[in-house]
Amino acid sequence: MTVPADRATRDTTRDTAAPAAAPGAPAPDAPVQATSCPGDRAPSVAAGLTGRRSAPLPRLLRSELRFGLAGPRTLITLAVLSLIPLLIGIGVTARGPAGDALAAAPGPGPGLIAAITGNGLMLPISALRVTLFLLMPLGVSIAAADALAGEAAHGSLRGLLLAPIGRGRLVAVKAFGVLAVAVLEVAVVTVLGLVAGLTFVGGGGQLLTLSGTSVGFGDAMARIGVAAGWALLQVAAVGAVALAVSALTEHPLVVPATVLGAAIVFGVLNVIPSLGWLRPVLLTSGWSSVTDLLRDPVPTDGLTHSALLAAAYLVLGLAVAVAGTLRREA
Amino acid sequence: MSPARRSGGAICARPEPPDDQPTPSVGPRQWLPGPPAARVRGLSKTYRRTVALDSVDLDVPTGSVLGLLGPNGSGKTTMLRLLLGLSRPSGGSVELLGQPMPRAAGRALPHVGALVEEPGFIPHLSGRHNLTRCAAAEPLLATSAIPDAVETALRRVGLASAAAADRPYRTYSLGMKQRLGLAAVVLAPRKLVVLDEPTNGLDPAGTRDVRRLIAELHASGATVLLSSHLLTEVEETCTHVAVLTTGSVVATGELAELLEADGPALQIHTSQPNAALAALRAARIPGYAERGLVVADLSDTPPELVLSALVHAGVPVAEARRRRTGLEELFVQLTEDGA
Repeated sequence: MTVPADRATRDTTRDTAAPAAAPGAPAPDAPVQATSCPGDRAPSVAAGLTGRRSAPLPRLLRSELRFGLAGPRTLITLAVLSLIPLLIGIGVTARGPAGDALAAAPGPGPGLIAAITGNGLMLPISALRVTLFLLMPLGVSIAAADALAGEAAHGSLRGLLLAPIGRGRLVAVKAFGVLAVAVLEVAVVTVLGLVAGLTFVGGGGQLLTLSGTSVGFGDAMARIGVAAGWALLQVAAVGAVALAVSALTEHPLVVPATVLGAAIVFGVLNVIPSLGWLRPVLLTSGWSSVTDLLRDPVPTDGLTHSALLAAAYLVLGLAVAVAGTLRREA
Repeated sequence: MSPARRSGGAICARPEPPDDQPTPSVGPRQWLPGPPAARVRGLSKTYRRTVALDSVDLDVPTGSVLGLLGPNGSGKTTMLRLLLGLSRPSGGSVELLGQPMPRAAGRALPHVGALVEEPGFIPHLSGRHNLTRCAAAEPLLATSAIPDAVETALRRVGLASAAAADRPYRTYSLGMKQRLGLAAVVLAPRKLVVLDEPTNGLDPAGTRDVRRLIAELHASGATVLLSSHLLTEVEETCTHVAVLTTGSVVATGELAELLEADGPALQIHTSQPNAALAALRAARIPGYAERGLVVADLSDTPPELVLSALVHAGVPVAEARRRRTGLEELFVQLTEDGA
């Protein structure tokens, strides 16, 4: 079913294709280039042919966002995440005497939520903390599972490698997609937390800190911004580790299972006193330090340490993801 | 009918161009002399203890349609995956369009279209979106050319209707999946097309479409390498054949040469084979019994002489027919000899 137009454009295609191929062409003694390959006469789709060896990176990233990210799972993850700040806001507003008892109870959980009462600017940071412990890592590890193991299971990874996308580039594109999910997760929780805090809870544009002082709106927004950035780094670190697992397995479900399993194991290790020396290298053990941003003045040690630790996990995860993808039998 | 003679005469995986061969084959040569589109030397692949490929040599002549034949588990798909750099060889070397694989995959693969194993696409995306995603990764396609390339490819494989192209891939039938896989192969102009069992799951109309597509690709100058267990398909579409058994290539060559390797012969059905053989011997015509038939060699004797010798000797001839070595027969011989 050769379209007649192809025949007409054949010669022009050959003329334009030859110089275009020149910059990327291999050594002149390479056999394919040395002889006139009959494939040069292949019908062209149109004049829109390049001599490139790989597709432009922005196009690959756009394609990943459009087709890799906009899947039903990402949407479900974001929908569930968006419920959390709303539920906290409604729950805090609607609480009765039982809630007052909760507020008096010691411990970070209920106390932190109860402290939001009449203090809406505290809600985004609390919501980030609550979701960081399970939902955001789960969401990002599902995205990472789809990114490499899922594509391998569908067989679509072969298509990308045959196009070809270089394997290093493939990891870069996929890491970008996972990072995008992390950004969306943190943005949804932060923005909806702010909206829910300001509409349901109120608080007069002031943030009442856990230390008892009160800070202005601008300072509060800066703290929320730092919390969001810090949370993004943590989620991205989980995403990088998940991508590493995704690069090493054929079974997508292994990825969230590993991430959640690791989170539970880390939690257990964290509370065993004799293993206290392990605590500084456990990613999850630094996660409660986000509430330091609700104190005045802000103690920065915990936040800094957990941020550096997350950066280390991020680099390590990406390195393993690249190594695993380079070795992968697709 | 000795296997040694068969494979000895048939092997032509040699570096010199086919034009140096003394006997011209039937029909015009459609492939060019020069470097092969794919060259494999000493290629081995071992998965833990399983030897999938054992020191295979193969050339895919530029411009040919080469059928890679072999029983299930003979290493066909492994070979294609190694050729395309999806998998790393345990030993030996692979050159694709003159480029060493998998090191220079970035140079060779833009000009290669491939459908290996079953087609793989994202289930929740439509066929059109899946194909757009593939097109975005094709180095040769300019960004502005992608929509046209996708539509053209869908049309070429018969998926252009909105009902077919806009449905989620997971609702596709096996045949539609296969067609979409072929659409990805023809997204960009190709110098080499690699197809792994391309008619798998297709109905007769689909099979016809695939054959037409292969013919179109071949006519446009592309070299085609296809694996199949369907012998009739290879016989009808290929110019060259390579037969693979338990990880080794047991025969390669032009299809016509392979099929003629045994020389002309007459197969005779008779109730008295011994008498027939005696009559042939008396007439000095070489002959032998095979599977209840008497076979007379026609290399030096016209068939009329064979028949008159038999009839004059009083041998009852029920049926006499020119032996045509089908690919199936050849395939069975080669693969059983290898086993």
